[in-house]
Amino acid sequence: MAEEKVVVIGTIVEPLPNALFRIALESGRQITAHSAGTVRSGHLRLLPGDRVRVEVSPVNPTRGRIVERLN
Amino acid sequence: MITVKSETELQLMRDAGKMLAEVLDELEGECRPGTTTGEIDAAADRLIRSRGAIPGFKGYNGFPKSLCISVNEEVVHGIPGKRVIDDGDLVSLDCGLIYRGMWADSGRTVLVGEVTPEARKLVDVTKRALHAGIEQARPGNRVGDISAAVQKVVEGAGFSVVRNFVGHGIGRNMHEEPQVPNFGVAGTGPLLRAGYALAIEPMVNAGTADVEMLPDRWTIITADGKLSAYFEHTVLITDGGPVVATAA
Repeated sequence: MAEEKVVVIGTIVEPLPNALFRIALESGRQITAHSAGTVRSGHLRLLPGDRVRVEVSPVNPTRGRIVERLN
Repeated sequence: MITVKSETELQLMRDAGKMLAEVLDELEGECRPGTTTGEIDAAADRLIRSRGAIPGFKGYNGFPKSLCISVNEEVVHGIPGKRVIDDGDLVSLDCGLIYRGMWADSGRTVLVGEVTPEARKLVDVTKRALHAGIEQARPGNRVGDISAAVQKVVEGAGFSVVRNFVGHGIGRNMHEEPQVPNFGVAGTGPLLRAGYALAIEPMVNAGTADVEMLPDRWTIITADGKLSAYFEHTVLITDGGPVVATAA
């Protein structure tokens, strides 16, 4: 049985408290993700509508980390 | 962390793989016009249990059957049921079993009856892509070498590589690290060592690489409705080269 790929592309739906974001994946699924340290320390502002690359947690598929902004 | 399997475990995986290959060979023979996918699933369950193994897919994350059957525009994870196999269909069988604690995962696309030359080419290219990937599965190479080899064969033939689903490490669990995409850059990714085991499974679409999920939350179909093919082997990484545990 094939495994679903961990690194996916999504769109930021809205910011959540504690530097979390609600992200809509291309599959339609919505997850919660935080911005990875490199993204955050680069002072990158993440806004609703931004397309981002996300690593989905293999342990909890509803959580992930934003590793790159693609806009 | 990618686990190294002991000699005992590797031998058990070879046994499990040989068993699964025999099961798939018999199931291939059952793929005839008029047979339902449910009947093939019942046969798979019976064949696996009669050999003293467990059908690993059943109950995995809630999957209800013993194998995935994906027909034509279905890419992977089709659920066996009332669908009747027809002349000209491309039927992908994806099966896994657990034997004495060790997994084997393998599959193939079967051409039923009279198929179009394009369909035949798709299946041929997918099989070749798998073998190109297996050739790279050696200690000292990286996962990206496998991925790039598969991608080159597929795109060289004008087909596309499904990106949302990937191969995987395998052993005491079906899905282990590392993920093995069917696209990538040679020389990148985790280093391969002797004792690793991978399930390499190119999923190839005739048209666009994009896929969608059906409301059943399992079946994946091509976004453009065109055909898809798939082949899979469980491969052991050894100093002597790749050992295909599930070889026919």
